[in-house]
Amino acid sequence: MSLEIVIWCALIAAGISCLTIPFLPSRFKSSAAFIFVLCIAIASSIPSISVLTGSPIEMIFHGSGVFGNIPVRIDALSAWFILIVNFTCISGALYGIGYMKPYEDQKSNTSLHWILFVVFQVSMISVCVLHNSLAFLIAWEIMSISSALLVIFEHHKSDTLKAGMNYLVQMHIGVVFLSIAFIWIYFSEGSFEFEKIASFFAHHPPALLFLLFFVGFGIKSGFIPLHTWLPYAHPAAPAHVSGVMSGVIVKMGIYGLLRIVFYLYSDLVFLGESVLILSVLTSFYGILNAAVVRDFKRMLAFCTIENIGIIGMGIGIGMIGKGINNPYLMLLGFTGALLHTLNHSLYKSLLFFTAGNLYQKLHTRNMEHLGGLIKKMPSTGFFFLCGALAIGGLPPFNGFISEFLIYSGLVEGIKSDNVQFSAMMMLCIVGLALVGGISLLTFTKSFSVIFLGTPRTELEHHPEEVSLIMRIPLFLILAAIVIIGIFPNAVFIPALSIVSGLNGVHSFPDEIMTVSPLLAIIGRVSLMLILFIALIYYVRSTITASKSSVYLPTWGCGYGSPNGRMQYTAKSFSKSFAKLFSFIVMEKKKYHEIDVKTIFPQSRTFHSNYLEFFEKNILDPVDNRILAFMNYFTFIHNGRLQVYILYGFFFIVILIAATFFNLL
Amino acid sequence: MNILSLILILCASLFFTGIVIRTKSILSGRKGPGIFQPLKDIWRLFRKGAVYSQTSSYIFQIAPSIYFASVLIAIFLIPVGNHPGIISFRGDFIFFAYVLALGKFFMIISAMDTGSSFSGMGASREALYSLLAEPAFFILMGSFALLTGYSSFYEIFSALHFGSSISYAVGFLAAIVLVIIALIENSRMPIDDPKTHLELTMIHEVMILDNSGFDLGLILYATNLKFAMYGALIANFFLTPGYEWYYSIPIFIGVQFVFAITVGIIESFMARFRMNHNPQYIFMLTSISILIFLGVLLILGKIA
Repeated sequence: MSLEIVIWCALIAAGISCLTIPFLPSRFKSSAAFIFVLCIAIASSIPSISVLTGSPIEMIFHGSGVFGNIPVRIDALSAWFILIVNFTCISGALYGIGYMKPYEDQKSNTSLHWILFVVFQVSMISVCVLHNSLAFLIAWEIMSISSALLVIFEHHKSDTLKAGMNYLVQMHIGVVFLSIAFIWIYFSEGSFEFEKIASFFAHHPPALLFLLFFVGFGIKSGFIPLHTWLPYAHPAAPAHVSGVMSGVIVKMGIYGLLRIVFYLYSDLVFLGESVLILSVLTSFYGILNAAVVRDFKRMLAFCTIENIGIIGMGIGIGMIGKGINNPYLMLLGFTGALLHTLNHSLYKSLLFFTAGNLYQKLHTRNMEHLGGLIKKMPSTGFFFLCGALAIGGLPPFNGFISEFLIYSGLVEGIKSDNVQFSAMMMLCIVGLALVGGISLLTFTKSFSVIFLGTPRTELEHHPEEVSLIMRIPLFLILAAIVIIGIFPNAVFIPALSIVSGLNGVHSFPDEIMTVSPLLAIIGRVSLMLILFIALIYYVRSTITASKSSVYLPTWGCGYGSPNGRMQYTAKSFSKSFAKLFSFIVMEKKKYHEIDVKTIFPQSRTFHSNYLEFFEKNILDPVDNRILAFMNYFTFIHNGRLQVYILYGFFFIVILIAATFFNLL
Repeated sequence: MNILSLILILCASLFFTGIVIRTKSILSGRKGPGIFQPLKDIWRLFRKGAVYSQTSSYIFQIAPSIYFASVLIAIFLIPVGNHPGIISFRGDFIFFAYVLALGKFFMIISAMDTGSSFSGMGASREALYSLLAEPAFFILMGSFALLTGYSSFYEIFSALHFGSSISYAVGFLAAIVLVIIALIENSRMPIDDPKTHLELTMIHEVMILDNSGFDLGLILYATNLKFAMYGALIANFFLTPGYEWYYSIPIFIGVQFVFAITVGIIESFMARFRMNHNPQYIFMLTSISILIFLGVLLILGKIA
């Protein structure tokens, strides 16, 4: 199938969806949208798969004088991301069929939502294939705007609206940086085509331009301190959208970053070190906050920041490897980053979908209110558990594979001759190990507080298992997670060929050839682990079957009537940890001191929550300063139409005067 | 098949806790139970019926099996002298740490599964202390990877040889770090007191308050195995290559023996730390391992 047909297929499907979804009866809207998403996914996946096994496909649209030529090109990197986008979008749309059921009566709202979902998918795919900066920026904008509108589905809630606005504004700050970067290249090289980025980097010192790109793409992917939109937008969006956002939209930032990194020639070591250090901090900061928040979707959003950090570590290692001309290190780093991108998109969407199950049935996102749900929602609990294990990087799931590659990269880096690298890589290993440990704490806490024990409060809604249609996508994702965990080479070899192809590595170093058998061993050991668990459990069951087993209340240390409120809460579980890192996760308590005059105890309230460091200490003060400063200019926009017309008049006068005096 | 290490560790696990308890009883002037008493206790538990909490779910029932399996797989990775473990691959120490973490994950959630107000306390502490101990292990193994140029247990230990005086210092520090990690991971003094009877002060013991019967037996035996496993890791520092099996096996047994006695002595003469001092103590471990890293850099002549 030629690329042109594919493009037309995708665009026509998107167009038809826009035209038909509003006129369908509301119960068919989501299924129709799913079918369109599936069609687009199939149309774009077929060439992507053929690219992964063969050579890149390219097609050039001859655009107008402004755009120049618009190359539409699927190379291996695009193909990889297109496949990730498609898988996540399919599972998201499938999940959305069930998730959006309760909202069927909001006809126009759901129509818009599903149209936007299709547009969103098409825009993400376009971002991956367009190799012309202007066209890229347009696709990028469509992606941002459609996702912002998807976020504010529940627009009657002020929190949601605020989160959506926050997201939209921050995305546009990102676009400003990207535009400056692209315009700079245009003025320097005379074309908007992506190839010119490479020629720019070949002739100029890259640091400043790279910084612009890094900020632009970093806002999308959520590197600190550019992450502040993430913890608001993800919880506010409907579950299937948060799954897709966290699974792939932040990855578009990673895609852009990788694209730029692959064009870099010089200064790679310095830039790589910067990326690596920032990524470790990002990852650490993300998981630190995830460990203390009680809104489970917000917790997952912070976890996304953590995982972006891990991906960034891979990119940093790869850049250093390329810089010091160590192809083994480079391949390990970039391949680890690519695999982690894939893995994270899988388990994060799984976790967000299970969070959606909880939200749909219980209408709360506060895990402190929950408990004991594994009995009421067994499949949801099981999926959450698997997702939690995978995200913690525990074998036999897929998260371990990519973390293992990144660890291997770091260990390889330690062995380098340079003391500076050794020390830095060692610090990164410490960071990664600590992050792994904290994510163990975070997810044992979240899983056990939500699903285990007994309910901590009386719930208004009776929890029950979600419908089958909402469980099918979860099964699909889980299958992918387990398959990657046990047969890592199924994804490692394509990722490796992508990285080596894009970096012009034609002969593999000997070491990298041993990684694939190594992963095969890890897969086998993981399988062995599963079999061992099954065997031991089988032995245990057969032995205990003949023994008596009694079910009694939990041991209460002699206290006869323990209740749900006495269990450890999420807050108390992470309290001692949060205290250790209280210089980053600051606790804010709200209560009244006991008045000396009150003799009898009265009803009292106590409220405590954790503040986010960057928001509290950096963003909010800066914001407030800017707002205070801007207040001086309120006389300019005073809301009077006459004055605005006068401004227009002044502008024209100035223009005429400037032309008259030859200033323009 | 390289099952030598597995056999040795299994053997050591049979005696280990017994020796610790025996040491403690001798030092406190008691007659004390025999060396096989812990094993007999476990065997008795294996034959008993069980009481389950009404609150608990299937997590509570599968967790001990997963914990046991994870420890067993971790043991498979440990070499003895110049015999590799059953499984050995580059970067297996990463797998080692993560597979143990899998077991720990399940023990923590199974503690939370009972809905008890005490188990949660232990679970939270276990999660915290094990996350704090994690960096030390990675720095330790990373340093030795740097020193030897390899990154699997077997290759690191078989390439390891002590030459200069710094390398002895490094080896000594590494042994200290591993002993302390073993004490933390197995919830022994001075982090945790396995013999305490106050729920508020316990870590590991309070997590398994509600386990009984076969499951409790599995957990207790897994703890013994874990001890022997760390003992084997320590022993590997002293089994420099070239030793034949008739040297390495006695050395292995000797090191395990000394390790067990050391644990016994520590438990007899030290009080448990206050809970809020534990993090500092564990952070100290990380700083010792940074010393090891510096030592390795010195040995390699990277820093003068």
